[in-house]
Amino acid sequence: MPTTLIDNAALFAVLSSLADNKQAIARRYAYWSNGAPALEAAVAAAAMTQDELGHARTLYPLLEDFAQGQANLVEVEPMTRTLRYHIRVLDTDFQGWSDFVATNFLLDTALTTFFEAAQDSTYEPLRARSRKIMQEERLHAMHAEGWVRRLARAGGKVRETLVASLMRQWDETLCWFGPQDDPVMQQLHQEGVIDATPDELRSRYLHKIMPILNGLEIDVPAAFNAETKRWSPSQPLPWQRWEATARRLT
Amino acid sequence: MSNTDTLTNTAIPPTLRREALNENRVWQVYARRKYEEPLHEIGNVMADDPELAKVYARSIYDEFTWVEMVIVPRESILTVIAS
Repeated sequence: MPTTLIDNAALFAVLSSLADNKQAIARRYAYWSNGAPALEAAVAAAAMTQDELGHARTLYPLLEDFAQGQANLVEVEPMTRTLRYHIRVLDTDFQGWSDFVATNFLLDTALTTFFEAAQDSTYEPLRARSRKIMQEERLHAMHAEGWVRRLARAGGKVRETLVASLMRQWDETLCWFGPQDDPVMQQLHQEGVIDATPDELRSRYLHKIMPILNGLEIDVPAAFNAETKRWSPSQPLPWQRWEATARRLT
Repeated sequence: MSNTDTLTNTAIPPTLRREALNENRVWQVYARRKYEEPLHEIGNVMADDPELAKVYARSIYDEFTWVEMVIVPRESILTVIAS
């Protein structure tokens, strides 16, 4: 047991969700390490699977340092953990390669947006891990953008399938940052664990993905405010389905 | 008809669109492990998108900690002495 336990339920909750999402992404990616459309893409999928698994494996051990983790040690060990605080879309197998591409482009980019906000974190273990994860995620982002372009430009059913995959994850990925008054993310912001509020994180995230989607004329519910130069969702998000503890939609 | 037309024209049968999704462009991959060494060819990757070609080169040829890696489109290589 660590000598000094951290008592911070908000940080414990977000670290749990980050680890579970990374672990679930790796599990879904793994199925496509020999099923991608080309040999090169399959090798890249295998490498990305290892990266995501590595991210999860560096996050889970942090949970042991928390009073909340020591209260139930079964739930901090990946092999025995029964809680699954990953987004709902990852409950089931990918239906096709476009789900791989959409997960990389939307969910993984959303998580990277969070890690970027933590690169100067007051919580040192997250700060160090964020910087390492961001390095590896640069390659994942290039893969995501390249494949989104490729599938979108193929037209017809290929494009339709990609858009359907993107739309399946759209709301839930935007919701992952929490409502603007989310006490968990607000506390992390106030404590300097991250440098942004939920709305600011959402705006930064949309700023990353919208130029690519706009360039491909993929219509999604987001709008750019020319005065504030900020992106935001153009439709209300389904907060009535938001499970605050698991950070996912029902 | 250009490759781009084939990709974007939804009137074209799915089989042709699938073929259009195949990678056609070959990139030669060069790398070196030490600064005092010259770049040398370590293999190739196929990708129409240059950014994807970079990702593929990084993930396939990851057996060493390279200090530099570059990719060159095969079509840019000119033969001086034919074999």
